[in-house]
Amino acid sequence: MSKESRMRATVNQKLTEMGERERLKELLRAKLTECGWKDQMKAHCKEVIKDKGLEHVTVEDLLVEITPKGRALVPDSVKKELLHRIRAFLAQHAT
Amino acid sequence: MPHLLKPNQSFLSCSNQVPRFHDAFGTSNMQRLLYFCRSWFLVWTCSRSVASCCCCSGGLLSTPGMLDMSSRASWIFAFSLASSWWTSWLSLSMLKNTAAKSCICHMCGAHLNRLHSCLHCVFFGCFTKKHIHEHAKNKRHNLAIDLLYGGIYCFVCQDYIYDKDMEQIAKEEQRKSWKLQGIGEKYTTWEPTKRELELLRHNPKRRKITTNCTIGLRGLINLGNTCFMNCIVQALTHTPLLRDFFLSDRHKCEMQSNSCLVCEMSQLFQEFYSGHRSPHIPFRLLHLVWTHARHLAGYEQQDAHEFLIAALDVLHRHCKGDTIRDDNGKKANNPNHCNCIIDQIFTGGLQSDVTCQVCHGVSTTIDPFWDISLDLPGSSTPFWPLSPGGDGSTVNGESHLSGSTTLTDCLRRFTRPEHLGSSAKIKCGGCHSYQESTKQLTMKKLPIVACFHLKRFEHSAKLRRKITTYVSFPLELDMTPFMASSKESRMNGQYQQTVDVLNNDNKYSLFAVVNHQGTLESGHYTSFIRQHKDQWFKCDDAIITKASIKDVLDSEGYLLFYHKQFLEYE
Repeated sequence: MSKESRMRATVNQKLTEMGERERLKELLRAKLTECGWKDQMKAHCKEVIKDKGLEHVTVEDLLVEITPKGRALVPDSVKKELLHRIRAFLAQHAT
Repeated sequence: MPHLLKPNQSFLSCSNQVPRFHDAFGTSNMQRLLYFCRSWFLVWTCSRSVASCCCCSGGLLSTPGMLDMSSRASWIFAFSLASSWWTSWLSLSMLKNTAAKSCICHMCGAHLNRLHSCLHCVFFGCFTKKHIHEHAKNKRHNLAIDLLYGGIYCFVCQDYIYDKDMEQIAKEEQRKSWKLQGIGEKYTTWEPTKRELELLRHNPKRRKITTNCTIGLRGLINLGNTCFMNCIVQALTHTPLLRDFFLSDRHKCEMQSNSCLVCEMSQLFQEFYSGHRSPHIPFRLLHLVWTHARHLAGYEQQDAHEFLIAALDVLHRHCKGDTIRDDNGKKANNPNHCNCIIDQIFTGGLQSDVTCQVCHGVSTTIDPFWDISLDLPGSSTPFWPLSPGGDGSTVNGESHLSGSTTLTDCLRRFTRPEHLGSSAKIKCGGCHSYQESTKQLTMKKLPIVACFHLKRFEHSAKLRRKITTYVSFPLELDMTPFMASSKESRMNGQYQQTVDVLNNDNKYSLFAVVNHQGTLESGHYTSFIRQHKDQWFKCDDAIITKASIKDVLDSEGYLLFYHKQFLEYE
């Protein structure tokens, strides 16, 4: 395991233990709904289903199609805000 | 490297790969027993459910077509479900520890790669890294459950499969876990009941709301100086929460006579959203208003603000059928604790703090309000001179043409501490004598719809006139500086340097403006209504025309209606 993934695991563990991860998830959900990202994704899913046909499409198909677009469409302001929150949390709970 | 849990023998002897749960729960046998009992309860509920994977017979039993959950499988299902969600029942702190330490992949120890639990044995594996796939292939255990959303995956079908009962259980557990985490109720999409499906089938006509549609816009005939009433009706029919209440038929009338104003409002909403484009003639509404608010009867021009308050009052009184009942089915007797739709939407709490100048004791009262009446510069009451460029003057991004007053200025004046003077001494509870004091108003609780009334009509002993001073008002308003809580934090020395971007509770959007043209003796009311975001219409009795945002913001403004931007469940 690389140093980076070890650090990521530690940070994640800390966030989960203090319940902060769930709170951040909720915040992210709210922000993404607000800025219309969720609706964009929904529309894209519908397109994929239309292309592949309702009977044959699997959850994996959808995931493979929408994940890159989903990651790209997250607004910078949302990323900034989440990053700010995580930094603030880590600063507060530094061991 | 995160600690990899070693398999250990526990009180569950049906598998040989068991994470060390008793470490997380403590070694109390009582706790273990409790956990054991809860799991059996879930087994009982699960064994009554049937997962049908119709496309493959790769289930636990090879019954072609249907998938049955044997009691052993139910037990495993219950165990894994319990381990991820029900462990929180024992204690909230354990939830955090358990989630972090016990729910991890048996192959790599990660817990964030779409962790799945095998439904045949106790095994946790990543989905992303295909660890659960490997396990499924090796052991021929073809069903697994996604620990985050409760979806069930079939490795033969290579897709998630859906079972009504399982989804029901997952939904219930999710709701419980939100509650325990303090998130409370969350929005879930609407799913129709059987009755609703029936109604929809019998009534196939549908109206689609697009971004440019004009549904809900309708002119109102002037019945003789009734423009004051028409404007308020336009504002009310475009109040989103009120519209939703009436269009979903939530009023249950308990009045015997035909004179219920709420029923009439309901009718009015039906008329407005019927799609008819001809102007509506509100004669029944006018008649009911005259019946219930005598002071407004007659064909002279009335004050729109007075009409608003009178209308809200009558609606509030007639809403008795919709008030909540307590556990014994008795209605709440206290008129101040009404929970009717009018109170839910329009009632706020105004805090009045009277501070004794001698002992600095504060006496606080909170009064309900439906609107905020703001004094304007140019009236006989002196307006507190405010210098533009002072702190927070750009709070709401209003256009600050030199010398022009803004809504924020008026609000600041409204919430400033006021010396009551030696002629108005208040009896102080601390000093037990009459002392000079200061009084300050702040918002304790903000209503969902905030109505600001600019006091343009002056009826003092000396003169009756209309104040036409231009007051600029914003499209978006942040009420945070005027809250009682902000005042407290200012007094405690916590100056708000930056506006808290994460607190959305106090943000409002303009959705209706009522304007008065002319003089006190003869004038005419019109209104601007927001149909969609950035789409405004001018309502002049029977004539509805498209308006620009500039038209709206440049208008004089008499009554300003703002709606909370973010609504939360209680």
